[in-house]
Amino acid sequence: MIQLIDVHKSYTKEHETIKGVSFEVHEGQIFGLLGPNGAGKTTLMQMIATLMKPTSGQILIDGLSADKALLEIHRKIGFLTNEIKLDPLSTPNALYDFFANLYDIPKDELKDRRDESFARFGISPFAEKRINELSTGMKQKISIAISLIHNPPVIIFDEPTNGLDILTSKQVTDYLKELRDKGHAIILSTHIFSVAEELCDDIAVLIDGSIVAQGSVDMLIEQAQVNTFEEAFFKIYVENHKE
Amino acid sequence: MSAKRGIKTIIGSFFQKRGQLGAKATAASFLVSVVFVIILFAAVVSWMIWWFPYHLFSDEVYNVVVVNAPESFIKYNEQTQVYRDREAKEYGNPNDFFRNYKNILSFEYNFDGYGRTKYIYKENDALYDFVSFGKWMRENDAYLTIVFPNDFDDQLLKRQNGLTDEKPQILTYYRTNSLEYSDMKNEYIDVHLSGYQSFIRAGFGLAITSFSDSEIVEKPIPTVGSANGIRAVVESLCRSFLPILIFIILLYSSMSIGTNVIAGQKERGTFTGILLTPVPRYGIVIGYLCGVVFKTIIPAFFIATIASLAVGQFSFTGFLALFTYIFVLEIFIASITILISVINDTVISAQTAFLPIFLTLVAVCVTCIQSINEREDFYMYLPVHGQFFGIGDVFVGKTDYLGLLISSLITLLLSALIIFVIERLLHSERYTVSIDSVDAKEVKSRLEGGKPTAWESINKGYDNFNFIFNESFYPLVVLSVFQTLAMLPVVVSYMRKAEYSAFIQDLVNVSTLKDIFDKTFEVFGIFFKDPLFLALMTVGYILIIITYFIHSGRVWKIKGMKNKITACGYPLSDKKHIILHYILGFIFGFLMMTCTVSIMFFTGQLTFSGFSLKLSGIGVFLFNLLMWFPQGASEELMFRGYMLKSFEKRFKPAVGIVASSIIFSALHSLNKGYTPLASVNLVLIAVLFALIYYLTGDIWMTSAMHTAWNLSQGNIFGLLVSGNSSANSVVTAIYSDNSSSLITGGSFGPEGGLATTAVTVVCMVIVTVLLVRKMRKKNL
Repeated sequence: MIQLIDVHKSYTKEHETIKGVSFEVHEGQIFGLLGPNGAGKTTLMQMIATLMKPTSGQILIDGLSADKALLEIHRKIGFLTNEIKLDPLSTPNALYDFFANLYDIPKDELKDRRDESFARFGISPFAEKRINELSTGMKQKISIAISLIHNPPVIIFDEPTNGLDILTSKQVTDYLKELRDKGHAIILSTHIFSVAEELCDDIAVLIDGSIVAQGSVDMLIEQAQVNTFEEAFFKIYVENHKE
Repeated sequence: MSAKRGIKTIIGSFFQKRGQLGAKATAASFLVSVVFVIILFAAVVSWMIWWFPYHLFSDEVYNVVVVNAPESFIKYNEQTQVYRDREAKEYGNPNDFFRNYKNILSFEYNFDGYGRTKYIYKENDALYDFVSFGKWMRENDAYLTIVFPNDFDDQLLKRQNGLTDEKPQILTYYRTNSLEYSDMKNEYIDVHLSGYQSFIRAGFGLAITSFSDSEIVEKPIPTVGSANGIRAVVESLCRSFLPILIFIILLYSSMSIGTNVIAGQKERGTFTGILLTPVPRYGIVIGYLCGVVFKTIIPAFFIATIASLAVGQFSFTGFLALFTYIFVLEIFIASITILISVINDTVISAQTAFLPIFLTLVAVCVTCIQSINEREDFYMYLPVHGQFFGIGDVFVGKTDYLGLLISSLITLLLSALIIFVIERLLHSERYTVSIDSVDAKEVKSRLEGGKPTAWESINKGYDNFNFIFNESFYPLVVLSVFQTLAMLPVVVSYMRKAEYSAFIQDLVNVSTLKDIFDKTFEVFGIFFKDPLFLALMTVGYILIIITYFIHSGRVWKIKGMKNKITACGYPLSDKKHIILHYILGFIFGFLMMTCTVSIMFFTGQLTFSGFSLKLSGIGVFLFNLLMWFPQGASEELMFRGYMLKSFEKRFKPAVGIVASSIIFSALHSLNKGYTPLASVNLVLIAVLFALIYYLTGDIWMTSAMHTAWNLSQGNIFGLLVSGNSSANSVVTAIYSDNSSSLITGGSFGPEGGLATTAVTVVCMVIVTVLLVRKMRKKNL
């Protein structure tokens, strides 16, 4: 579903942020992008979500390129990032309806979908409250509900559990698992090992703009010849990070 | 399909009750708007001064040209001159409100200028030479020409002797460029010419005849080159004031809404979400454009409709043309604002970037007003110019449909170009993705360590600056709003008075800032002798007090009027305490002033004129006394009850005392005769009042002191109060020839002199001792 072929990105002429990244994410798979701050995770995610264009290389979503079929891709992807915020003065209901209209959700389905989605995350009691009166966790859940409003086959989540408490975090990871089982292709970036370890079928370690290791959790531990995933990551990091 | 629904949804979001755009304006954007309003106000005032048709409103024009005056008329005039002189004397004193108030309020044109009519005698054989008559009237400020036949008296003699039945004619020519002139003409004929007819009947022994012995023929002289009378004024307003009003409404509302849309969404981080929806970029742009246009056009249409009905423009095609002009103009302005919104990342930067465009467009309007009479057809086809002239034309009722068509097409074309550019920009990641938002930076800085970073310090400094600026600005705004409101009726009434029309005309020569202040205080000087103004100011000060109660309640989140009033330093529970403090404060204030005056008296700086209260001015005197009560209370509330407390809550009491006192002094700096010494004195007085506030715990006493100080200064000793003179006082202080303005304070009044400094410092020492004692007691 998601296909990256030798993607490069540079903001300035001297420095390349993404240095030739290639990978593939299939249906029913959670692909984890693991890396320290500043490794280029967000840049990569934003490029997959069509917000930025790669300097060179190709990103295909379901075989489509953003140059040619931007809106088609928008219908296929759900993007969540900390950078995207909710209007603080609006209400969950109003926001959901607004985006449902923008995504052209059939009007007769709109209310049922909203109720279902809000019920699942426990948003319903807060549906008429202002966003700025809600907690961080609630906001994140609303963001997730809205980003998946059109039931996209491709889900791009940038640090979805960042800043959430354990309970909410678990709700989110459970939901992601459920989506995977339904056959969605999911790519998520994180710097939390436990999340990566628990969720991801395939993990790519991104350091300084390049993927230095890729495989399942067990594979990575085995390759690094250590006991835990955390140790494996540190070993990979030390080996590959240049001062 | 998706685009259509997307556009509709985005437009809908503009009209949602708690919609997308309900972002709070920041303090900085508030500042920007305040600056706008000030600039606009200054601009409007400056235009008023040169385009206002004073010549039509000035009742300087009350002279009469008499052509070929017969001896009988001259004789009649000499007799009636006595009455006119008496009338002029009676109505001549503008300060004599009680005898004059009718004229001040109603401002009827008086046909003989309240007795000040002058007769200009001319000779002309041609009785219908209205060109010369018009010229003479213009040259001599006359509104009427009376033309007698050369042999008027002879003709009368003939009639007397029964030689002829023909009545001699008296021709009257009058100006028509104001309806007032025809009224004045009618009145003149009713009073003076009828009187003259009775006079000649008596003089020539024709009194017994039952018919008039001369016939009065009335002939209007149209003013060359313009429509007549009121219509001319209305037309000039239609072509200048109304278009600029509509422009400003459109510009201002587009600015506040248009710059907010995308820049505001970027600032809040909500824009990316919209970009990710399957709505095409052009759909997003058109959605926002339509949202801004529909939202801003409602007030403009409303005002335009009312204005066109008011000027008598009822035609359907006229409305259609007007709305087309406004609609097209708004599309143009909205597309510019959205372009700016796309380029900028925050609302503030977008509004700042729009400022030059705003001013440029306003400047274009000004050039349009300046070239109203000599505009080229070519301008009708341009954007902005075309709309300005076009809107003016529609109001006048002369719609230029070709101009409407061409200017609209060109403007729409330009707008389309701008929209195209916006659409392209939305494809660029430079204007869509904000990688490092302000919030992210803050989070980063906090992660990096507990110490405040440079960014945080700047932010905090900016916050404090904003707070201080707003706090010091608020009283100025409130004061000027209510003072202006109180002044308006008085200004309007004075504008039409002969004595002041000259003054108002003189305003044209005002060029420097100093002139403006001097003139303002000249006006205040006049107004302070007007009971109407004093009464309105009394009401104004009471309204200021109420405003402050409400404002402070809102800022401090206090519910209930009684609690708000208490929080402002006016505790209401203990009535005895209030009365005692108020009376004591009044006595203290009076004593302080008396000490100050005594110092000046015993050092030979001034003498007193003796009892100078005039009975005729007792009304003004009482009104003035009344005004000082809310005046003192409002200033205490502003600077001690509210400002000092606000500062104290944010900083320390000492900062509050110093800051509020400096602001108190600074706000008086606009007054006449303000000197460095005066500024120091006002700071000292403010500090003294602040100390008393801490000593007594309320501002009842300081309010009374403030009132007593001003009242005794102005209305008992007859001195200047912060540069303002009072109307009537019990005694009048006269500065000695060898007086030193260092001690007396010169044209600022005693508050600018060393005598006040001495008294205030002594009082401060006493109060400080008491305060220290009180605090010690508290600690024990």
